[in-house]
Amino acid sequence: MRKITEFRSGKLAVAVTALLALAGGFVGISAAAASQPQAQPNTAVTGETYIIGTDTTFAPFEYRKDGELTGIDMDLIRDIAKNQGFTVEIKSLGFDAALQALQSNQVDGVIAGMSITDERKLIFDFSDPYFDSGVQMAVAEDNTKITGYADLAGETVVAKRGSEGETFANSIKDEYGFTVKALADSATMYDDVKAGNSVAVFDDYPVLAYGISQNNGLKSVTEKEQGSSYGFAVNKGQNPELLAAFNTGLAELKSNGEYQAILDSYLEQPAPVAASGFFGLLSDSLPALMKGLGLTLLATALSIVIALVLGVLFGFFKVSESRVLRGIASVYVSIFRGTPLLVQAFFFYFGLPQLTGQSIDVLTAGVLTLSLNAGAYMTEIVRGGIQSVDPGQTEAGRSLGLGYVTTMRRVVLPQAVKIMTPSFINQFVMTLKDTSLLAVIGFAELTYQGQQIYAANFRTGETLLIVAALYFIVINLLTMLSNKLDKRFNK
Amino acid sequence: MSKISVTGLRKSFGSNEVLKGLDVEILEGEVVCVIGPSGSGKSTFLRCLNKLDELSAGTVIVDGFNLGDKTVDLNEVRQHIGMVFQHFNLFPHMTVLQNIMLAPVELKKESTADARTTALKLLDRVGLADKATARPAQLSGGQKQRVAIARSLAVNPDIMLFDEATSALDPEMVGEVLQVIRDLAAEGMTMVVVTHEMGFAREVADRVIFMADGVIVEEGTPAELFGNPQQARTQDFLSKVL
Ligand SMILES: Nc1ncnc2c1ncn2[C@@H]1O[C@H](COP(=O)(O)OP(=O)(O)O)[C@@H](O)[C@H]1O
Ligand SMILES: [Mg+2]
Repeated sequence: MRKITEFRSGKLAVAVTALLALAGGFVGISAAAASQPQAQPNTAVTGETYIIGTDTTFAPFEYRKDGELTGIDMDLIRDIAKNQGFTVEIKSLGFDAALQALQSNQVDGVIAGMSITDERKLIFDFSDPYFDSGVQMAVAEDNTKITGYADLAGETVVAKRGSEGETFANSIKDEYGFTVKALADSATMYDDVKAGNSVAVFDDYPVLAYGISQNNGLKSVTEKEQGSSYGFAVNKGQNPELLAAFNTGLAELKSNGEYQAILDSYLEQPAPVAASGFFGLLSDSLPALMKGLGLTLLATALSIVIALVLGVLFGFFKVSESRVLRGIASVYVSIFRGTPLLVQAFFFYFGLPQLTGQSIDVLTAGVLTLSLNAGAYMTEIVRGGIQSVDPGQTEAGRSLGLGYVTTMRRVVLPQAVKIMTPSFINQFVMTLKDTSLLAVIGFAELTYQGQQIYAANFRTGETLLIVAALYFIVINLLTMLSNKLDKRFNK
Repeated sequence: MSKISVTGLRKSFGSNEVLKGLDVEILEGEVVCVIGPSGSGKSTFLRCLNKLDELSAGTVIVDGFNLGDKTVDLNEVRQHIGMVFQHFNLFPHMTVLQNIMLAPVELKKESTADARTTALKLLDRVGLADKATARPAQLSGGQKQRVAIARSLAVNPDIMLFDEATSALDPEMVGEVLQVIRDLAAEGMTMVVVTHEMGFAREVADRVIFMADGVIVEEGTPAELFGNPQQARTQDFLSKVL
């Protein structure tokens, strides 16, 4: 359903899969060792722990409630695991990220409201379908004009990029004469409709139904269109016992009624919640946001310290007389300044494990990205600082018979540090803000926590205000503190 | 005895040849003043004597050390040659006393306590005993230059190089700095003094060298060079500055 346009090029996908399978098989990082005997599924998985990747927020299939991952997918996989006697460790990565993690064997399976499509079947092995979805159209609550596709003439609608909703909207847009705009996630789409930028949204019916029950300000106006089915996936040829156990467990849950109970609890009887006020939202979301802020500060602190070391090292390389050292430093700086931080983060988290076969946890990947990136800027700050000290100072030192190192240490650096400090503080703040980009690789820092919250409660504006305020307060406090220290030590 | 011996010294910056073959002998205790138009290579010549600039060709032997020899410890040689710059180059983040004590202490020539005593004596000698705890920024130009001289003297050199030590000073401060240099000359210090102060050169120098376009055009005693210059370029230069 979602992202069916991905892997459009079948050939490429096959080639990539083959490569990945090769890489994966080569280093054998799959949790299920290939040597395990093929026994009855329920005994083959007994006592095993599987890492399951999922989306960050795709309510009602997966989302956070009071900081805990919940949703149809989560209930299903946990109940099936219990039923079949294995343990799951859920990784909330984001949809694309989860699929990439599955391909690189960083996770054993993915359950993320994923449609079973022919393209995906080339790369993954799917379970029996566990949910039949379909596209539905919704408009703003107070909209009385639009009651069907026929009322859309001349209007703009939104759909999720690469989703079945987009495909469906595109398939009827000429017939009804409307324009389709693609956005990245449900919360944004709903906000777009409420803001009047578009008149209607085409989204998966369970998502819409759940959103409406959460007072997202929309109402559905059409019946759901016949759609595709969701399946649980493992990497092609990997973890067959896990797949079999899922199917067996699903069948059992269906026959004992548990399956229907789960669906009903999210779709049939959604208890409409009364929106709490801003302060209610604040007190509800603060615990999760503070946890995120803690991780933000941790990643910033680690990254800045490493970046400082890198910056001093390569900064000295840059001002050294050795052409080789200068070259090394220049290459380092131009690589990390010449590529987007986001690409670097993806590379360290997804690319590197595929190349090396070593999986990497998200904090390590994040800190690696930020410190190498900030280190490049630090290098330039250190170089600039050293070079801005009057060359006459070095000459005076050297003419007294002091060596290069002593002259640097006693004469040049004390003056350079004073010049560099404001830029250091600046870089510190930049790095703190850059941590928010790590949300895309599923690092649970402040921005990520905010996204989780508004994806579940649809109160995007207020939640982002709180998130921004937290950044603002922390950054300004740290800047004030840094400036105080600067004044005190760099008189 | 020859303290400094320069033969065939050439120096180029890229394709620009700045020194075009200099031959100079300077004896122990001799005071040599170097004069000449701006851009003629006077500073570059001085900087080659303690190898702040690399030599392109020729030999420079200072106190018996051949500066072209890669095995010579330059930091050792430089402790024999003090250098005073036009713009003082005091260390702004240190007090006057710390400026003077830095080299002796870092080079382990003296204990901190001894270096302090020496520094205070040197300050007294240049007439700035009361400025020990001042920062360079609090001093006048003339005071700065006297501190810079004291700083050079702290490593106990036996040669001093002065590169237009009074050119950046207000006229009323030139005298106090020249007096310090004059005293050093009287004590028998070997000195190479690049200067625009012709009166001073005439009074203090044992020998005056006139440089133009990277060559030594003419040299002699002050009486010879100022009183009876032989070369047209010397006469031309002197007619402009005297
Ligand atoms: N570091 C340098 N790089 C390139 N050219 C230089 C450098 N230092 C001096 N020069 C050039 O060498 C010439 C002589 O300079 P300098 O020795 O400072 O002359 P003077 O001290 O007699 O005024 C000038 O043309 C100057 O531009
Ligand atoms: Mg000069």
